[in-house]
Amino acid sequence: MPRNDPTDTGGLFIGRRPGTAPLRYKADPERAGERRRRTDALLAAAVLALEALVCLTLWGPQPIAWLWIGSQVDYHGGSITLALAVTFFGMLGTLMITLGIATRLDRVWRILRRAAGHEQQEGVLPRIFAVTAIVALVLFSIWFVIIEGPAPMLAPR
Amino acid sequence: MRRFLGYYRQFEELSPEEVSRDLRRRRDEEKAQSLTETPALDLSSPAWHEPPHAEIVNAATFALRRAVNAYPDAGAEALSAALAARHGVEPAQVVAGHGAGELLRAALQALLAGAGNELDPHPPTVAIAWPGWGPLPRLVHEAGGRPVPVPLGRDGAADVDALAAAAGAGGDGVRAVALCSPNDPTGGTIDAAALRRLAAALPAGAWILLDAALADFEEPGADLAALTGELDRLLVVRSFSKAHAMAGFRAGYAIGPEGSREFLARLAPALGASAPAQAGMTWAVANGERYLPRRRALAASEREHLAAALAGTDLAFPPGTGPLLWLSSAGLGGRELAAELAAKRIFVAPGTAWGDDRHVRVALRGPGATDRLAAALKELAAG
Repeated sequence: MPRNDPTDTGGLFIGRRPGTAPLRYKADPERAGERRRRTDALLAAAVLALEALVCLTLWGPQPIAWLWIGSQVDYHGGSITLALAVTFFGMLGTLMITLGIATRLDRVWRILRRAAGHEQQEGVLPRIFAVTAIVALVLFSIWFVIIEGPAPMLAPR
Repeated sequence: MRRFLGYYRQFEELSPEEVSRDLRRRRDEEKAQSLTETPALDLSSPAWHEPPHAEIVNAATFALRRAVNAYPDAGAEALSAALAARHGVEPAQVVAGHGAGELLRAALQALLAGAGNELDPHPPTVAIAWPGWGPLPRLVHEAGGRPVPVPLGRDGAADVDALAAAAGAGGDGVRAVALCSPNDPTGGTIDAAALRRLAAALPAGAWILLDAALADFEEPGADLAALTGELDRLLVVRSFSKAHAMAGFRAGYAIGPEGSREFLARLAPALGASAPAQAGMTWAVANGERYLPRRRALAASEREHLAAALAGTDLAFPPGTGPLLWLSSAGLGGRELAAELAAKRIFVAPGTAWGDDRHVRVALRGPGATDRLAAALKELAAG
């Protein structure tokens, strides 16, 4: 087992630094022509946009939809506890489903990027997730502070 | 559709589990193969078989990282001072270069300057104790001289009287005598008295080129470099390739007599030894005694070990110093001996490289390698 501690190897690194392993395929891929690769690049961009949209739904449409469903449960069932439980678990369920869809889209995106000629090692989902969260937070803050204004009990009547 | 999807599936990466499975399978195959295959044992190279001390590599790496874009110290002043202190000479008497071989080449070029006309029926000569360091005759030819081989004494060391006689017979045409101590390939050594005798018998103007590349395998008290203070035409060439295990650095140095500054300047590389080589040599000079005694002892004990193992067979080698030995068999020629050992995946240097078909040169390693060599040789001797 080679030692890769520089104090054991005279200051030299032996082996590869973590996270720099090359991509390994089952066999060397047969790459198509330039036109197909350009098409794959466009498809990858479209999948990326779709992935971003899917992630954005987590921060607005989905919570709003579940709040609406919860309000309906409360109205028709007369139970606030049940309404809260439906909203919470429903939100959790669609979150899982959305992440599953986004993960699959991310895999498709990676494959399309490689087919387009890029050595795409990692997916982009964590970054999209973070960016969409920031975008949603900024939009919410603008709506909450500027458009909707302070709460009625603080504002002059 | 299947073909369409198949095109994209080929871009799916292997999972870490699949990669690991493949690596494990390859490792298992190699392990299974190593159990059935006898590994090669290369005893043909005179370079030390172990890596250099880790601090030598550290020093060289540090020198590279610090200023790889800058020229090294052309005069190698720190190194020269350390080498001079080690041998008890003045720093001006020391020149560092790209290994002992390059320094010998430069010395021959300097001493034979003006020679080299192929039509000259009497080119200047260099008497060489032979067999000696292999490339030496070629270097003499390249410098425009004619090498005159002088057989070694029975003890495997240079025969200084025969060298003096050959030099005397050559008259004014003799520019130098070259000898190796400890001798490559026999391990024979000469002492200070023999060197003084040789110097006294040489024609005026002839130099002694002493190749002491293996001298670090001798006890420190046997150092002949100090004689440069006494003999005015003695050049001692030392190497870091052998006992210091720095063959890849191409590092060595030469020590000349006082007042030979001009001659030594002609031996120095134009822009000095490389920065990592200087750094590695400087550390090795200052700290070599940390590891040299162990290597000296290992070389000596392996010589004894092999001699004891071959007692009673028709295989023998002269006593000497260092890891190189000049082995011969009463029943087999050098070429056959090398071929028989190669069939057992033990590789030695056949003596034909020195124009000798009776011997092979063996570079000793550790006890395991000596045991394997001894077993193979005894098997050959038995039949």
